[in-house]
Amino acid sequence: MRQPIVNICLFFFVLQVICIVASLLYPNDFRYVSETNIGLLLRAIPVLGIISLGVGVLMITGEYDLSVGSVYTLAGYSIALLFGMGLPVWLAVIATLAIAIAIGVTNGLITVKFAIPSFIATMGAMLVVRGVVRWLSEGRTVSFKPDETFSGLLTGAFYGIEAPFIWFIGLALLTGLLVHKSKLGNHFYLVGGHEKTAIAVGINSHRVKVIAFALASLAAAIAGILSITRVGTATPAQGIGLELKAIAVCVIGGLFLSGGRGTVLGIVVGACLMYMVEDVLLLLRAPGFYLDVFVGAILVVAVILNTWLTRKAGK
Amino acid sequence: MTIPSSTPLLALKGISKQYGHVQALSGVDFQINRNEIVGLLGDNGAGKSTLVRIMSGVEFPDSGQVFRDGQPATIKSRKDSEKLGIETIYQDSALVGSASIMRNFFAGRELTKGLGILDTHKMNAIVMDILVNMVRISGINSPDILVEALSGGQRQAVAIARAVYFKTAMLLLDEPTSALSVRETAKLLEHLAELKREGVSAVFITHNLYHAYESCDRFTILSRGQVIGSLAKAETSVRELNDLIVKY
Repeated sequence: MRQPIVNICLFFFVLQVICIVASLLYPNDFRYVSETNIGLLLRAIPVLGIISLGVGVLMITGEYDLSVGSVYTLAGYSIALLFGMGLPVWLAVIATLAIAIAIGVTNGLITVKFAIPSFIATMGAMLVVRGVVRWLSEGRTVSFKPDETFSGLLTGAFYGIEAPFIWFIGLALLTGLLVHKSKLGNHFYLVGGHEKTAIAVGINSHRVKVIAFALASLAAAIAGILSITRVGTATPAQGIGLELKAIAVCVIGGLFLSGGRGTVLGIVVGACLMYMVEDVLLLLRAPGFYLDVFVGAILVVAVILNTWLTRKAGK
Repeated sequence: MTIPSSTPLLALKGISKQYGHVQALSGVDFQINRNEIVGLLGDNGAGKSTLVRIMSGVEFPDSGQVFRDGQPATIKSRKDSEKLGIETIYQDSALVGSASIMRNFFAGRELTKGLGILDTHKMNAIVMDILVNMVRISGINSPDILVEALSGGQRQAVAIARAVYFKTAMLLLDEPTSALSVRETAKLLEHLAELKREGVSAVFITHNLYHAYESCDRFTILSRGQVIGSLAKAETSVRELNDLIVKY
């Protein structure tokens, strides 16, 4: 379980060192260590990072959620519209999170009760939820301007560190506690590792999976609220493709599509790595298509390495 | 109330189970006595696995009764069978390969410090103590080793250690030797004898009559869903058991 994570952390560390050294050597051409760039990274990572935490937990139980990108957008519209109707902002938050949990539970129940692949169940949810967003938005963007206290809490800065990043780390620690230190977390791994065995020792695998689906949806909604609070607006087409990016982050971080393996630290490092690569390419003024090529290559190499390491450890 | 030692630990009476048009079991009587290893024998499709699944609560019979220490009981779920002290070790799925020894050992019965937070320290200590002092598995020096890194025999030993620790009264072993080497099989049969000394009864489901004959006290033979014989070791031989299974 530890092997792939050591690998990915090492790679991340080496890349950091190279970037910092390069930036110190060529301070004018490669502004990696600059306040603007670091601020940019710390604001960019949390949205995908938080979604990946949820997707990762679900992936540990051996399932996927393709609807998180749509739920992310729906959450933005939900909080903006509810707030616009005059609801207090905290109630709008609670209602939005409740809607997300309901979608997650529905995804979970459909997957386990009809025994169909979650890939299909959540692909359906992805389309349905995206359709609801288009219907709600009538194709228009929506704006969200909450009071200072609320936006400060979600998007301000504490001691110079961007609030979204603090939220991300806080949620990652909570997820780590749940996944690695709790009884339910152990059940996530056992169900994902071998569902039949988990059932044989008396674990209610359906319940465990439905909870994981709810968490994935919840995380996507938190990211959606964070995003619209920071940017102030949402568009109906935003968030498309986030579901695949989140799966990529998890896989780079050492999780397995087949479930039962991986760490929360891996998800965090995976998310950071994804944006670092993007950032470095931007700083080097590389054309946009380089990004896809790089992320794609890293994804496949990471999976090959992780599979190889795990197989070696299992021998 | 004291229970006379002659009362079976578990008795099944007239158990029938049908899957569609297939009569998997019809009117089967089966019992496990105190301090006894029962061999459950029979050819493929005889109904051995169905009977095991009924005793472990994974399947529910269409008709029939269950008695624990002479008292009527029902086994409708894995939780029910656990309460009656029944633990099953399946041939292919006793443990989760991608999880550590400790996490498998306490799977579904984790110790917590309250609020659902695992007491990892305590569980690690217990696992190591049991593995080193009781089951004596060689080559295991950490509770964090993933089960997939263990040999087939070591895996069975971990599953058996778990049963011993949780004070299982009856252990159902479904084809435990089918994936083991000769040496590991010998070790497993040793563990079975040890289990008996610890006061655990066992049901040994197998094709291999030699393994069964060596370790069991009594044999129940199934054929096409019916019991065709129940013999004590003293009154039979491997040859007779073989003939019984082949003829029916």
